[in-house]
Amino acid sequence: MRARVIAGGVVTSAAVLVIGWQLGGQPAVTAQSGAATGSTSGSSSSSGTGSSSSGTGSSSSDSGSSSSDSGSSSSAGSGTSSSVSGTFAGAATQTQFGPVQVQIVVADGKITDVTALQLTDRDGRSEQISQQAAPILRQEALQAQSAKIQAVSGATYTSEGYTTSLQSAIDKAGL
Amino acid sequence: MIDTARPTSTPPTTGPFRGTAAPAEPLEVAAVRRRRAGRRRAATVDLLGILAWASAAMAVTLWLVTPGSHSVSGVGGWLTDAGIVAGLIGTDLVLVMLVLAARVPLIDRVFGQDNAIAVHRSLGKPVLYLLLAHGLLLTLGYSASSGSGPIAETIALFSTPDMPLAYLSLGLFVAVVVTSLVAVRRRLPYEAWHVIHLLSYAAVLVALPHMLSVGSVLAHGTWQRVYWIALYVLALGLIALYRIVLPIVVTLRHRIRVVAVEPIAPGVVSIHLAGRDLDALGARGGQYGVWRFWTAKTWWHAHPVSFSAVPGRDRARITVRDLGAGSARLGRITPGTTVSLEGPYGLFTSQARTAPFLALVASGIGITPVRALLEDTDLRPGEATVLLRGSDTSQQYLWQETAALAESTGSRLYAMVGNRARSGESWMTEDDLRRGVTLRSVFPRLLESDLYVCGPRAWSDLVVREARLAGVPEHQIHQERFES
Repeated sequence: MRARVIAGGVVTSAAVLVIGWQLGGQPAVTAQSGAATGSTSGSSSSSGTGSSSSGTGSSSSDSGSSSSDSGSSSSAGSGTSSSVSGTFAGAATQTQFGPVQVQIVVADGKITDVTALQLTDRDGRSEQISQQAAPILRQEALQAQSAKIQAVSGATYTSEGYTTSLQSAIDKAGL
Repeated sequence: MIDTARPTSTPPTTGPFRGTAAPAEPLEVAAVRRRRAGRRRAATVDLLGILAWASAAMAVTLWLVTPGSHSVSGVGGWLTDAGIVAGLIGTDLVLVMLVLAARVPLIDRVFGQDNAIAVHRSLGKPVLYLLLAHGLLLTLGYSASSGSGPIAETIALFSTPDMPLAYLSLGLFVAVVVTSLVAVRRRLPYEAWHVIHLLSYAAVLVALPHMLSVGSVLAHGTWQRVYWIALYVLALGLIALYRIVLPIVVTLRHRIRVVAVEPIAPGVVSIHLAGRDLDALGARGGQYGVWRFWTAKTWWHAHPVSFSAVPGRDRARITVRDLGAGSARLGRITPGTTVSLEGPYGLFTSQARTAPFLALVASGIGITPVRALLEDTDLRPGEATVLLRGSDTSQQYLWQETAALAESTGSRLYAMVGNRARSGESWMTEDDLRRGVTLRSVFPRLLESDLYVCGPRAWSDLVVREARLAGVPEHQIHQERFES
């Protein structure tokens, strides 16, 4: 290859990369603010690019509490803790691969169903991992009737987020 | 020994010669025009090269602008990032390789298809390393992030949708590159290598699903996804257009068939062809086509063979030596056989000239493009000098025709017959080496000449090496590489 091509190629590539680096800095910042609004909406595994992609945002606790409010409002909790019934949403737990939030259905103090409101969805791969792990974690939770369940191998982050959110839902139900 | 070959009075076998009238344009003016055209070609080549570089950078940039792509820290994050970048650059270069192999007319005209294939080859190994690094780094990165071992991570990846296809793609790429490495390729029959090479298309295609579903950069509804799909459509579209559609159109339009097979030396045959509007092929003297002869025994083998004469309106001629098993069978094809053609290709033409004078060196079957080039060039007396080389008298086929062409254009012609010197690495005979013959003594105006060399690879490399040492600028050296 001619020297001119190499020189020109290196300069052009460097320019393109610098532009990319500069542009790349901006959305990473805006994405964090977007994550706070994105996760409160509670739409689970839509693979949008911007919303769910922030790393370990500090805004997660805000979004978690706001969504758990909406969860508890739907509960019809009455009577003693042993015969509690209703639907309880756990706090959204922020993981490296996106927020995880689960909701439990309780009938007479017994967990009858666990549904994932949000699962890790930073990219196609983490989405797929969590899609595979969720049924296993659900089964484990229904059997154990608690958040003391085994993590699914290969889905460590999803499992951690799942159990944390599950525990907060159980706490909310007062089981 | 060098002697001026005796001009022959025997008329040539194929039609009247073209370009015997000396052009009116003064030599210096023509040289300036050629030099300018040469610079334009070089600038286009540079631009295409820069574009290829920029496309690799663009692949990385599109990843950088993807929100959150490179904000992950930690060892696992860095490994993952490096793996993604390796995969993106590797994929981009695979597409560049496809374009280089697509025989795009623009690339052939400014760079030459043989040069394009040389670049294609040189990219093979680096691309494979990038793709292997992509798989390895991502596996390590993911396992570092998730805390599971690399093997568990591989199993997890394997059960992710589209990933088994991605592993298949990687396996195919390994197979394609390994079989293409020259050492292995010499041990493999050409056809086996070719069939395996076709698998690279499959490798490219089966890698696509995991990029689109698993890759975070190519998520639904992003313009990154649009860009990448456009690149794939471009690369595969060029292949489909110029390697499949265009050859079919050319073949159907010109309806070429064999008229006669004429043995002209031991193991050398001239194949006379007839067809419709063959002059509309636009074949220049010195170009080659990729030919396929539709008989039961030969249809599966495509032969890159030079035109040994400039095609007329309904006649063309190619000359073949039995270099391989497939070529040997060509001597036995019968008149009437249907022929399909890809091409014409090649920059071994007078269009590629950049200097005032012309120096042609041919050995063995390498005479075919040189003879056609001489026929197709408008020459002033004394402008061109031809040196024909053969190891013995049986290799003097087409020499009489070439001598006649040289005489009619007022060109000097030399012949050098005998085995290559044993006393040193030389393209000359022992006698001539001892006598102190050099390229510059044969071609006194070598430095102001375009040097066209065609012959066996090892031999022509030696000629080119001497020319470079003598100080011939690179743009004045034109080498036709005869390889299967």
